Amino acid sequence: MAEQVIKPDLNFINDVIASGGESLKKCFQCATCSVVCNVTPEDKPFPRKEMLQAQWGLKDKLLANPDIWLCHQCSDCTAYCPRGAKPGEVLGAIRKMSLQEFSVPGFMVKMVNQPKFLLVLLAVPALLYILIIASQGFFGDVSIPTEDGKIVYGKFLFSLYYVDTVFTAIALFAAFSLLLGITKYWRAMSAAAPNAKGSFGKALSDTILEILGHNRFRKCEVTKGRATAHMLVFYSFIGLFITTILAFAKVIPEYFEHFGTHLGIDQSLLDGLTVIYKILGNISAAALVLGILLVISNRFKNQEKAGLGGYYDWLFILLVAGVGVSGLLAQFLRMANTVVAYPTYVVHLCLVFFLFAYAPFSKMAHMAYRATAMIFAKQAGRG
Amino acid sequence: MAENKKVLVIGGGFSGLTAAVETAEAGAEVVIVERKPFLGGRVTQLNKYFPKLCPPNCGLEINFKRIKNNGDISFHTLAEVDKVSGQEGNYDVTIKLKPRFVNDKCVGCNACAEACPVEMPNEFNFGLNNTKAAYITHNQAFPFLYAIDEKHCKGASCGKCAEACKYNAIDLSMKAETLTLNVSSIILATGWDSYDVSKLDILGGGRIKNVITNMQMERLASPNGPTAGKILRPSDGKEVKSIAFVQCAGSRDENHLPYCSYICCMASLKQVTYLRDIYPDSKATVFYIDIRTPGTRYEQFYTKIKEDPNVTLTKGKVAKITEDSATGDVIVVAEDIFAGKKVEAKFDMVVLAAGMVPSTKGLPVPADISYTADGFVIPSKLKKGIYAVGTAKSPVDVSRSVQDATGVAIKSIQSARRVK
Repeated sequence: MAEQVIKPDLNFINDVIASGGESLKKCFQCATCSVVCNVTPEDKPFPRKEMLQAQWGLKDKLLANPDIWLCHQCSDCTAYCPRGAKPGEVLGAIRKMSLQEFSVPGFMVKMVNQPKFLLVLLAVPALLYILIIASQGFFGDVSIPTEDGKIVYGKFLFSLYYVDTVFTAIALFAAFSLLLGITKYWRAMSAAAPNAKGSFGKALSDTILEILGHNRFRKCEVTKGRATAHMLVFYSFIGLFITTILAFAKVIPEYFEHFGTHLGIDQSLLDGLTVIYKILGNISAAALVLGILLVISNRFKNQEKAGLGGYYDWLFILLVAGVGVSGLLAQFLRMANTVVAYPTYVVHLCLVFFLFAYAPFSKMAHMAYRATAMIFAKQAGRG
Repeated sequence: MAENKKVLVIGGGFSGLTAAVETAEAGAEVVIVERKPFLGGRVTQLNKYFPKLCPPNCGLEINFKRIKNNGDISFHTLAEVDKVSGQEGNYDVTIKLKPRFVNDKCVGCNACAEACPVEMPNEFNFGLNNTKAAYITHNQAFPFLYAIDEKHCKGASCGKCAEACKYNAIDLSMKAETLTLNVSSIILATGWDSYDVSKLDILGGGRIKNVITNMQMERLASPNGPTAGKILRPSDGKEVKSIAFVQCAGSRDENHLPYCSYICCMASLKQVTYLRDIYPDSKATVFYIDIRTPGTRYEQFYTKIKEDPNVTLTKGKVAKITEDSATGDVIVVAEDIFAGKKVEAKFDMVVLAAGMVPSTKGLPVPADISYTADGFVIPSKLKKGIYAVGTAKSPVDVSRSVQDATGVAIKSIQSARRVK
């Protein structure tokens, strides 16, 4: 018989406990959790084995595995756990640890997930915009230009330089960092399960379809409403992404104009585009706010059975809520033509900055890691 | 010796009976009060019991005989303690006696039950069948007097039982009475109830017909039970050839009973033999978290059961039970921990190893007594002269209850003598 050496990582155990998995050691391995879980594969089901591996500090086994992300934290396991070991919350803590393991640069995960760094992280976009505003002289004698007395944000902060360039840079950074992270994750999973070789294309398309339909998420029982709330937020993000693309397309002629090139695009076409993205943007923003409010209300409703969540969860939730609310407010205050619109707009930009620049290190990263895990699992025949 | 040396035993089950006969045989006067119309408690409902696996009568009959032959023991059935005041050596106890509507002239001829038009769920059989409102639990009940259920009986306006009785044994005008006693000490032998399995939603308790409790299994296996010991399943009376035992149904679960109920592992292993003895081609599976076999003899019993090729022991708690509505079969899902995969299997019948709830949880004794959150008496907080035995304190089996009750006999006599 082959000798198996088990190397418990004691620090890892303590880290899981410190990251919200304080109930870990209560587990007595009855396997109720694996049975009540509707989203686990039948073979080597989770989360019982994860609870044991975490108790033993088997970090590599846990992190190089798609199962921790196949878990959607329905909390069916937590509700029925006879020991109050809260497997759902323990797996949530392990997912946080896995971000720390794979994200690049890793120290950012620690910063994003500790309240003491919140001000530092917020200060980055805040200082950036204070500097920009100061450079325009708006803190001094220069009055903010308007268009016939009406507030136009483009005249306040020229979007090519101060919005589009900044955010394109952020988006590229986030995308690159996430890509590095999930590549490391994929390699770790492949090394642990070298024989898992199905069709990647099929796994990818199945995963996309599953995410679009939230099919796995819908199997949750104890926290039933969560899939719907998440779906609202998810689709509103897609809506806002499309809005951004359209809005960018619309301003391209203006940018060329800025540099003295006239593209000669029919103005009515641009006006039509504006109507479309404004409608889409507003619907998406409303759905985002409604969705995140549902997320919050579900959290409180399920508090007893599923736990309220920690800083890691709430930072993300409140950020999304803040982006939605500040975005809508900035629009309405601009229409009301009140001077408060300017600071509101700046706050909105700072929150969007925070959400995307730190996405690879916050709960936002779940979309990349969970999708990666789902693709890998499907390829490995684990549903 | 003090003048007042009377000892009150609350509860006429195996613990109470043992405490009573041991105390009386050591020279004190004992009064037993029992809430039910018959003595013997939970043991009378068993098919066989540990350690000797003999039928209940093998231990109960001798105790009943000791009661009958001892002038110092009196007992009251249908009796509930109403009030307790005083202190060691001088407790005043008020007892409410509910009417039996049947007097000592009863010869147990069953004529009243035949005449009675009212059917009610048979509590003694845990609702597996019905009985008449004029009834006796089984052919060796003690006292061997019929009882008429006050709640279900239509009263004197019906009176069919009284007409049918040739011995003038039925008096439907009987009223509740109050009895006051002065005793030197009190023994709490209040016993236990089965955990209400309808609270175990994912296990289908009380919802799926062929999912029964371990105590119902005792009745199905018992010769004086509803199927005369044949083990036929409730939905269609089919012989049970495949059975699953679901351990820790409520026990060791902080959502239900946070403690181990002590008896269920051995009870299920014992019940495996009930089925295997009757039907040689039958198969049994026990799903467990841990099999707990306290002591030496119980471990040997477990080892013997494991040798049976038709018995499977699967480590993994069952957390999902559904019904095949077409056949009435029961589908059980668990994770086979050693195999590392979910298993789904179909059985003729499923037995939930329901946990033990102290009777004092739902019905505390109206006296100055402290209980744990789970309803167990806290012995260290009992007043002087009040003692608890058996399952009133914690889940235990019959033999440990007997040892406990025997020990408490001397304590109660000390209480009587301490006060001069």
